[in-house]
Amino acid sequence: MTDSPYLEAVALSKRYEDGVLALDRVSFGVRPGQIYAMLGANGAGKTTTINIFLNLIDPSEGEARIGGIVTHREPLEAKAHVAYVSENVMLYGNFTAMQNLEFFARLSGKHHYSRDDYHDILRRVGLSDDVHYKKVRGFSKGMRQKCGIAIAILKDAPAILLDEPTSGLDPKAGWEFCRLLESLRQEGKAILMSTHDIFRAKEIADTIAIMKEGRLVMEQPAGELAHLDLEKLYMEYMAGHNGPMPAEA
Amino acid sequence: MLGTLILKEVRDIFGSTKFVISFSVCAVLILLAFFTGAQNYQAARRQYEAAKAENLRQCDGLTDWLMLRQNRIFLPPEPVAAIVTGVSNDIGRTVEVTGRGELSAEDSRFEGEPLFAVFRFLDLEFVFGVVLSLLAILLGYDAICGEKERGTLRLVFSHAVPRATYICGKLIGSLAALVPALIVPILIGCLVLVLMGIPVDVNGWFRLALAIGTGLLYFMVMLVLSIMVSAMTHRSSSAFLAMLVVWVMSVFVVPRAAVLLAGRAVVVPSVDELSSKKAALNSQLWTQGRQAISRWTPEKTGGDMEGMMKQFQDMMEKQADERDRKMQELAGQLNEDRANRQRVQQRWAFAAARLSPLASFSLAVTSLAGTDLNMNDRFAAEAAQYQGDYAKFMKAKTGMVPGRGMIIMKGDAGGGAKPKPVDPKELPEFQHRPIALAGAVETAIPSIGLLIVWGLGAFITAFWSFLRYDLR
Repeated sequence: MTDSPYLEAVALSKRYEDGVLALDRVSFGVRPGQIYAMLGANGAGKTTTINIFLNLIDPSEGEARIGGIVTHREPLEAKAHVAYVSENVMLYGNFTAMQNLEFFARLSGKHHYSRDDYHDILRRVGLSDDVHYKKVRGFSKGMRQKCGIAIAILKDAPAILLDEPTSGLDPKAGWEFCRLLESLRQEGKAILMSTHDIFRAKEIADTIAIMKEGRLVMEQPAGELAHLDLEKLYMEYMAGHNGPMPAEA
Repeated sequence: MLGTLILKEVRDIFGSTKFVISFSVCAVLILLAFFTGAQNYQAARRQYEAAKAENLRQCDGLTDWLMLRQNRIFLPPEPVAAIVTGVSNDIGRTVEVTGRGELSAEDSRFEGEPLFAVFRFLDLEFVFGVVLSLLAILLGYDAICGEKERGTLRLVFSHAVPRATYICGKLIGSLAALVPALIVPILIGCLVLVLMGIPVDVNGWFRLALAIGTGLLYFMVMLVLSIMVSAMTHRSSSAFLAMLVVWVMSVFVVPRAAVLLAGRAVVVPSVDELSSKKAALNSQLWTQGRQAISRWTPEKTGGDMEGMMKQFQDMMEKQADERDRKMQELAGQLNEDRANRQRVQQRWAFAAARLSPLASFSLAVTSLAGTDLNMNDRFAAEAAQYQGDYAKFMKAKTGMVPGRGMIIMKGDAGGGAKPKPVDPKELPEFQHRPIALAGAVETAIPSIGLLIVWGLGAFITAFWSFLRYDLR
């Protein structure tokens, strides 16, 4: 694990056209081989942060950087270095899992993959051979999430953005998903994950942050929270603890 | 990257149930349009041949051409006109030619078979103008906003995909999937024409190919318009509603409103008004004629009955010539004035109607098929030409040109020799020439040009809108 962050938010602010301040000078960094979990209620600014990293929107102030590249200045260059898995992975329903993988691999500029490679990756994320050639419109949410992870793996980007990835998954699928994340962390990926799932975050993340009303109100290494009741802490912050952010260890 | 996006679009369209169902319906309708067109042509051809034979049959037993009272000419059916019917079923196809006087075409197809006028025929103009434009909307309305709603747009743009490349891939991919797919049933339809023995000449094939090409251009315009609306909205339901409004305006409102406004702006006297004026003069001339007949006394012929009848006949012909000249003078003035006003009215109506892509398409495709509004004028010109030939023929055969209402007195020479029957084959034959390719193209070019402008405008707007599209 290197010390310089691969994913970096520097005083990131976003005010929408209707005047709503969605992000207020948010700064954090995610190093390679680190999983950074952002907790927060709906509207806290988690998805806005991810949208800025993906250049789906521009920041009002500050910068989001991927591998040192400022996303709103060089969006295509920045996106080449990041993979994304959404809360509800939606793929092309008329395509099979293999065709979806092939399409997104080509979009990533990875033309060298063979059919065997696609099969291997689908097996790795836990999709059995009998569904590889099935149209994904019949897939469950868990199966689509696995396809989404497979697409992220195919891209082989140094950073991964996950937007509520375990939301709506059954416990088994959630557990399998966490094992996959662990393996990606071991490969040295910098992983930024927004989630509502306090327990999964505590289980898997290296750093846990809490966002509220567009601000980062807490950021702690997960190890330091081991002896604390994270749920209680989270509820305290949500209830109105707006004090200064605890210093990073 | 562009190739990948185009290929994805083609695969996605071909793999969708929506495409399979709607395309199958359209393919069947295209084939039906060709098949019913071919059948209608065959039926019209049989009717045409029977009517021609019937016209000649009235010469049976005639020994004097002056006894031929109802020489009629018929507009022959054309294969291309059966596929793109235009106004061909609305205009009169039969003209009674007497050698003098005004000509008027009667017996339109819809006059004889009014049932077909209620819902019209299934032809290529209808299939492209109405059905395929709906197919274009159905397959294009959610091209962008649907992907946003489904969430795939977000996933695609998490990759390093330039927006310009994506929208070009979307537009080109949609066109690349749908246009060649439509060509298949069209080619089969052309094969149906050949197999059913429809005699399409080279000129006809060229005009049909251009009409089909114009149809495909119109389909592309509607598809790109749909994608444009999709790139300007964020919900597929909004896009569908917006496109439905565009479609209704284009198909029903704009063309009708254009005609209505042009009708209000330029007043054209009705045929009845003209007929009334003509009838008044005709009545006056007849009164004068009758007075002239009552005053007429034969020059001394020494009891030669035939000489007296010849004098009478000469007087009658002179009167008919004079009456014809005056009637033609008035009719010419009235008709010219009406035609001029009609031309101005048409120009305004067409200019306004062309705001609708459907109207531009209809005007172009009927011009190419030769079934546009000018079809009536072309037939009238050919009939007038024939009337001249017929008058010369009758003059040569009988020494006079019979006309409407002319009283002819013929006496028996009493020579005892049995008169020879007339030979119907001697009658001049009516020549109908299908519209020339160059002329058809020249008439269609403004409408085709407007369709191209529509398509390019929609393409540029879709492109520009997507560059600013909220991808979240």
